[in-house]
Amino acid sequence: MTGPPLASPAFLATLAAIMPKPHLLLSATLLLVSAAFAALPKPDADNGGLILPIGFHALVVADHLKPLRNLAVADNGDLYIKTRQDGIYALRDADGDGRAEVVKEFGSGGGTGIALHNGWLYESTNDAVYRYKLTPGELVPTGEPERIVRDLPDEKQHNAKAFAFGADGQLYVEVGSPSNAFGGKRDRALGAKGEDPTEFLQTHGGYWRFDPDKPDQTQATGFHVSTGHRHSTSIALNPTNGRLFICIHGRDQLNTVAPQFYTALDNSQNPAEVMHLLRDGANFGWPYTYVDAQTKERKLNPEFGGDGKKVDDSGKFDAPLVVFPAHYSPMQLAFYTGTQFPEKFRGGAFLAFQGSWNRAPLPQAGYQVVYIPFDEKGMPKGSFETFADNFAGYTDLASPGDALHRPNGVAVGPDGSLYITDSSRGRVWRIIYTGEK
Amino acid sequence: MRSLACASAVLLLAACSKSEPPPVVAVAAAPTPPAKSGAAVAAAPGTERPAAPAAAPVQTPAPAPAPRLPEAAPAKTAASDAPKVDLAALLKQGEKIYADTCATCHMADGNGVPFMQPGIDKSAWISNPDPQYLLSLILRGAEVVGAAADAYDNKMAPQDALSDEQVAAVATYVRHRFAAEPIAKPVTPAEVAIARARPGLPK
Repeated sequence: MTGPPLASPAFLATLAAIMPKPHLLLSATLLLVSAAFAALPKPDADNGGLILPIGFHALVVADHLKPLRNLAVADNGDLYIKTRQDGIYALRDADGDGRAEVVKEFGSGGGTGIALHNGWLYESTNDAVYRYKLTPGELVPTGEPERIVRDLPDEKQHNAKAFAFGADGQLYVEVGSPSNAFGGKRDRALGAKGEDPTEFLQTHGGYWRFDPDKPDQTQATGFHVSTGHRHSTSIALNPTNGRLFICIHGRDQLNTVAPQFYTALDNSQNPAEVMHLLRDGANFGWPYTYVDAQTKERKLNPEFGGDGKKVDDSGKFDAPLVVFPAHYSPMQLAFYTGTQFPEKFRGGAFLAFQGSWNRAPLPQAGYQVVYIPFDEKGMPKGSFETFADNFAGYTDLASPGDALHRPNGVAVGPDGSLYITDSSRGRVWRIIYTGEK
Repeated sequence: MRSLACASAVLLLAACSKSEPPPVVAVAAAPTPPAKSGAAVAAAPGTERPAAPAAAPVQTPAPAPAPRLPEAAPAKTAASDAPKVDLAALLKQGEKIYADTCATCHMADGNGVPFMQPGIDKSAWISNPDPQYLLSLILRGAEVVGAAADAYDNKMAPQDALSDEQVAAVATYVRHRFAAEPIAKPVTPAEVAIARARPGLPK
């Protein structure tokens, strides 16, 4: 199988018989292939349970798979999706109806990150990055994976390893902080006191750069790009300016740690989840500070002398480029590189929020995919808007376990469709645009 | 250390003997609840990774609920245990502490957060008639749970900033609300003091 049925060898042979001139054959083939992509599948009557902007529709590509993490879409539309705890799903829509008729699982070890790069499928477990050689047309790689980075810190909490390829072709891998605010043994508990994170941050809470073609690299041999973040599971290259952008999960439980300064309601609305530019030498301020979701100021964490008001004036930490609501949990980030969607979506990025657990007494929130507009220079405008909603199925959700779905992966297909994966009940959606351009 | 353990045991016996025989028997009859409860919490005994909590969200099947004494389960006002306990007031106090301190992670409904924090509804730790295991867990955090805690991303911190009275109230509340069968017998501050003095789980 090399593509849609219309491009099958038999059909091309027929065409060749009909059309004598090679250049005509070529243009006819291109026409047919683009026609095949242009023919969008029929959406589901209920849009797979999602609420979308006018003109957009959705269909369920696959359902009831294992809990899913990030995904990557190949040039022929094949989907590769990480499962949280097991292998990698390979999905193929063999007949163009938008549903995956072929669902294979290969590999093992769980994890989060996945990306296609120069004919390889890269994927991360919680302590390593591997790659598989892909053979054009073959859905499942046949060879053994090659380990590119090994022995990354894996201490359970915040151990997902997001990664992306920079404009320099290098591999950027995240290592999280197994911590809330480095509050020692009582981290997350009443009265937690911050400890000196200097040594800890040498190997945690940052991004590291590696050679994507060199096997068995370690954190020590990688280049330490950035420091001072708690956990980041969102990283993507903006093709407009060749810069990498990341999102960071803010801390939890301000009111649990310091009820004298924060009410439960304060905590439900703070701190912000944030987007930053990833640059060499950047420091994003954790564990000393957090970003206030209302005032956008960088404030001191209560573990490090904060009282809910004290603003950090050290000048050492980058300012966030986009400020999102508290506890939404930003997961995969994908720049929109297609042309299927209307003009306003070109050049911006989609971000999947997995949704909160730490917003009581307010309902849990953020089970949605948002659109983040970027300017012509490739920088975020600072705003965002809800794009796909109702994943949870309820608006008064008290507990994440009750959510029907939790968006995790988001990626753009070759025809400009947007694919979304579900970390709860294993659903995969494809979003298409059928309205006016 | 050893003398402390001995002292605790003596204290425990002393505390128990002040009331009536059943609790002593309960201690003897529940030799290794942590293992059982661990299995219940992890929901996948023998495997490193938990069964997908998404599909069956932490509904702790409690394969082997802690052994229960006939006397321990049904409502039994603890007149003999502590002088005049107002159970309703105690539960109310415990509910407030649960909401302020515990529900953040374990959720108001006790169902936890898939992959992140375990559900506690019908947990064997809570269902055990002997409160000492639950009290150790509250005061020491995830370290007393052992490897079973690895099924979840976040590790419970020791909640030892709470007073004996507060721990007793919240333990009473969760035993009343989340035990496989409600346990009405109040937990006393004296029992919390015993747990606090002991380094780990009861021997």
